[in-house]
Amino acid sequence: MSKIPCRKCGHPFSTEKTYQQLSKIAHQKGLTNIEEFLSLCHECKLGLFSEKIVGIDLEMVPRTKPLPSRRSEKLEPIKYDMRLGTTVYKTECFSCNQGCDAVVHVKEGRVVKVEGDVSSHITKGVLCSKGLASKEHLYHKERVLYPLKREGKRGKGSWKRISWDEALNTITFQFKEVEKEYGKEGIIFATGTSRGWLQPFYRFANAYGCQYTAPGTAQCALPRFTGSTLVGGTRFLENPDYENTRCMLVWGANPTSTFPVKGRGMMEAWTRGAKLVVIDPLLSEAASKADLWIQLRPGTDAALALGMLNVIIGEELYDKNFVEKWCFGFEELKKRVKEYPLEKVEQITWVPKDKILQGARLYAKEKPSCITVVVAIEQNADTLSTCRSIAMLAALTGNIDIPGGNLIQMPVKVGSWLEGDIALTDKLTDEQHEKRLGSKTYPLLAGKHTVSFPPSAFNYDVWQAILAEKPYPIRALFCQGSNMLQAYSNSKMVLAALKRLDFFVGVDFYMNATTELADLFLPAATWMERDYVTCSDQVSANSAVLQQRVHSVGECWSDLKILNELAKRLGIGDRMFSTDEAFFDYLLRPSRMTFDDFRQIGLIELPWEYKKYQKNGFATPSGKIQLFDTKLEGLGFDPLPNYREPTESPVSTPELAKDYPLIITTGGRSPVFRHSEFRNISILREIVPDLYISIHPETARRYGVEENDPVIVESPRGKIEGKASFTWGIDPRVIQVPSHWPGKSNVNLIMDNEHCSPMVGSAQLRCQLCRIKKGKGVVR
Amino acid sequence: MFDKFLLVDLDSCVRCYSCEIACRQENQLVSESKSRWCRVFTIGPRKVDGELHMDFVSVMCIQCDDPPCAYFCPVDAISKREDGIVVINEEICTGCKKCQHGCPYGVMQFNAVTQKAGKCNLCLSRTECGIEPSCVQHCIGGSLRFVSSHELEEIVDGKHLAKIGRTYYLSSKWKLNPLEF
Repeated sequence: MSKIPCRKCGHPFSTEKTYQQLSKIAHQKGLTNIEEFLSLCHECKLGLFSEKIVGIDLEMVPRTKPLPSRRSEKLEPIKYDMRLGTTVYKTECFSCNQGCDAVVHVKEGRVVKVEGDVSSHITKGVLCSKGLASKEHLYHKERVLYPLKREGKRGKGSWKRISWDEALNTITFQFKEVEKEYGKEGIIFATGTSRGWLQPFYRFANAYGCQYTAPGTAQCALPRFTGSTLVGGTRFLENPDYENTRCMLVWGANPTSTFPVKGRGMMEAWTRGAKLVVIDPLLSEAASKADLWIQLRPGTDAALALGMLNVIIGEELYDKNFVEKWCFGFEELKKRVKEYPLEKVEQITWVPKDKILQGARLYAKEKPSCITVVVAIEQNADTLSTCRSIAMLAALTGNIDIPGGNLIQMPVKVGSWLEGDIALTDKLTDEQHEKRLGSKTYPLLAGKHTVSFPPSAFNYDVWQAILAEKPYPIRALFCQGSNMLQAYSNSKMVLAALKRLDFFVGVDFYMNATTELADLFLPAATWMERDYVTCSDQVSANSAVLQQRVHSVGECWSDLKILNELAKRLGIGDRMFSTDEAFFDYLLRPSRMTFDDFRQIGLIELPWEYKKYQKNGFATPSGKIQLFDTKLEGLGFDPLPNYREPTESPVSTPELAKDYPLIITTGGRSPVFRHSEFRNISILREIVPDLYISIHPETARRYGVEENDPVIVESPRGKIEGKASFTWGIDPRVIQVPSHWPGKSNVNLIMDNEHCSPMVGSAQLRCQLCRIKKGKGVVR
Repeated sequence: MFDKFLLVDLDSCVRCYSCEIACRQENQLVSESKSRWCRVFTIGPRKVDGELHMDFVSVMCIQCDDPPCAYFCPVDAISKREDGIVVINEEICTGCKKCQHGCPYGVMQFNAVTQKAGKCNLCLSRTECGIEPSCVQHCIGGSLRFVSSHELEEIVDGKHLAKIGRTYYLSSKWKLNPLEF
């Protein structure tokens, strides 16, 4: 039977015979206008349908009314679902590293469904695509369920199942061997975003006396936590109060894709009419909703923030009472921002003057306003200045810890996920601090006096220590929950380093590019297979929630158990915990509860108190907001925020820009993946099957690239391949490449990791140079 | 039978794909089934009146007033309930795919596992017990709502409203286009 092609895309979808039969029926029944659709494939019909509903007639009506409230609020959690005949466990989804209230339905010993918890007033019943696909993850046929030992050559993919005992004994033996010859510096620990267990991980490494590193930290979380902590003593930028706000400034973030709980809050506020200002080089989902979208040159965020501060101070839009009473160094800042007149800021950022003015005025005047930031502001040439200057916007306008502003976390009295004392950072010796890689060059990342994060080793130096044995050799690596080859910039260097190790342990769910190179593979439990106490200000800054084990698959251990059991063998058992529960008891100590008590209640929640600083001031040296930073001054760094041009840019390296004329900004996230995770879950992968590179159509055509064509992106460090996705929502001088893709599509292969941001060591992943050309054939 | 309607608020769809995955889980549409009853589509970015616009819309069966799929079914497996929901009788369905080819919207799917036609039925097994559809519960932007006609009046609030089949579309920006066959 001959297939007929779709009239629009050419894809063969139906047979001539079917088409004629249907045509005839349509004609007989008088469905005359259906003909147009019969000759389209199903995909094109869907597309045409959605286009037709929306239409092209624009007529704006103000948004004033919220949609009806979700059905959550009034409901009680249930334990047994009569309709489905399932036992229902209320727990926390940890598909990413946030922790959203979820329920898991279990029937006859198997998980049959994972849903949002409708009785939760934090999530109001929502759950993201990743969370909803958790069952696919739990029972994935490729999941490794038993400890494995490599057989034969590294990377050949030949493995043998072993017992946990053998695995842990092997690690103990190998670590002791390395230690004998190279000392504790010869061993390093690495992790990724983790799933809530960052504290015990740090604690383990510190107790054992080894350093640790992560692809994030310097590139994610540390700069913005450090920035707002230096300014205001806490991580207040993490907690925008959407419920009471009138204006939301979303800076380099797309919360509905990456922080679903925040995204829900943001959209609820938006629907009832709160203003939305989005700063992003790409027309993202959030930007498409914005009342004002500020499209800046990637990496120039600090200049934009300083320009906005200039407007707010110059036009006296700041909160005078608050500044007078609670801000230290206002005059100095005032002088600094005068160096950023709007003409200059426009030139640096490519943002028209008017838009900067409009943005600053909107944010300052529509009080209460809140700021949302995530990782995008932490990957430029001076991330600390960027984060500090954005934090200062909140400070000068008095939008800190007021309803509708950015809130200071409530003292929930449960060890929070980054507290130094749990990590035993205070027990480290000066010698250990000094030996940590990067401690001298990047003191606020790796030095003794880090702020808001336990110190960790600088990535580039770690690879150097493995490859060139400078300043000392690292021979063994324990990597827990990180696909390092996709997550770290300069993947080639990472690959070379991993191959050079004497001993490498990988803890993961799946065999992936990184764990394939390991000597030992330890299978980790997913969030459904473990207990936990989660207290994350990224989800809710006034509560701690129970996560409970509902199920177990194979011999997968919780990450915590792996650390505890290994600690016992390494002789540091007394500084870790006998069981997972013992650790939770320890976490819960300040609330005078045991884990068993907590299991009964499931939630600790404090009522919000505002303006908490009025009692004891801000947790800074002056007790005030530090606009002028004495700590940075003491470390020999600029005490005021400043703009620093990216190391590679049309401005700083015009010669290089002749060869590589486009700015590459990486790391745009898809809602269906978390960093390198979930690309193997087919129902998620079907939504985003390939690496799609956002390119302006005019730019693409200049290089002879058409939509969906394979495209090669080249930087001075190499090339990668992806598919062209056309968008008018990007500057023609910029391309956006999502990160964390495997193989030839891994953008980290071509990103520099050597020239990093001062003090905190962030790689400039959002602003380097590249060129593109048309690729050949099909990608991968 | 129930009197609540699916409302798709175009303003607040944020292309998070929660509805797609919620639907696949609820209706056991595993990857091998090649069935996606709920889809999120992107319109644009496009320039209208000098400004860039990008919109998203969640597309599922609209429960047509006069469903063409029923005309095309040679064994009368498709019918419309009194409350307007279009249902497929799987016992009768032979999996001939004619309804799929005939559906003008592309929402009718062929399930490669069960070898039957399938499409959104507003999560009947939930909604008949008073629980909203899974896509509605999990919608992060709040775009999908399950509302009574009374609630509907309240939320429209001067916005553009279009009813297609048994489904309402709402926008504060686009004068919507109620197309139907």
